[in-house]
Amino acid sequence: MSSYTFRDLAEKTAAMREFRRLRDAGLPIPAEVRDRHVAATNDGYATGPEPGERVPDFALPDQTGAMRTREELTGPSGLFLVFHRSADW
Amino acid sequence: MAAISYDSREILAEFAQKYSIGYPLLSDRASEVIRGFGILNQNMAPELRSYGVPHPVEYLISPEGVVVRKYFVPNYQHRVTASTVAFEEFGETAGDAPAVTLASGALRAQIGLASPSAFAGQQVSFFARFRLEPGWHIAPPSIVFDSPELLRQEVTFPEPEIMSFPVLNESLPVHSGSFEGRGSLLLRFPLPDGGLILRGSLSFQLCSETVCEPPQTLPFELPLTLEPFLKT
Repeated sequence: MSSYTFRDLAEKTAAMREFRRLRDAGLPIPAEVRDRHVAATNDGYATGPEPGERVPDFALPDQTGAMRTREELTGPSGLFLVFHRSADW
Repeated sequence: MAAISYDSREILAEFAQKYSIGYPLLSDRASEVIRGFGILNQNMAPELRSYGVPHPVEYLISPEGVVVRKYFVPNYQHRVTASTVAFEEFGETAGDAPAVTLASGALRAQIGLASPSAFAGQQVSFFARFRLEPGWHIAPPSIVFDSPELLRQEVTFPEPEIMSFPVLNESLPVHSGSFEGRGSLLLRFPLPDGGLILRGSLSFQLCSETVCEPPQTLPFELPLTLEPFLKT
């Protein structure tokens, strides 16, 4: 994965688009295309606050439209918070 | 527990219904909280639908708002299972999780998964509990799974104690009494749905103060159900 380098965003976009083009067409995906796609999407992987650091407070609507805050979502053992890509695709 | 993505409330409502999700799915339309956490994926060009997604990270946050632990895996195809977190943080395993008991001479071992099922691409925890009869010891054992469905595996044991064996004229790192190892298995993605048998083997050597038995390898199998993804 780290063997791929990208000059700019356009190169990453091209790598992702090539992967998606083959996948959407149901064509076989060469390992190199898959690996470049994975490398492009994961470049500069950032994981946010470290253990021991405070997280930012937030207030966001949930699936019912109710506003939820970090504090209110937190139980006696704390809060398990998952960031995910999308529920739609 | 709560989840955050950049999806609209409507999409999250549909998703929650489809998968019978009871916990809050939070809608961060402008990716503001994602940015606030510093995990916006900056590889996505504005014209892509993936513009605004986070790097996938999971946090266990204390009641005071401090990160206790965080989980991440090096790409989007892989995630940590909820059962892994319950197991690693609280020692909980699902009641119907598979386990096998292996016994040989002075050793009894129980090896089991934290959960009976998982999705392809997830990381599944396992445990290995050992009990040795008094006077017997083993060097740190090895547990190896050889199922092709696994991409990665690891297991750790408590720090062994160094013990001298006069008959061998040697000091060796050993475990005695009861101890537990914990490990994780990263499933490949994609994999076909349905039942999967994870085949593994436990290798160890039993020693007392007067004799070492020959090294042994005991095979075992653990069933795991791969759940279907509802979307195609």
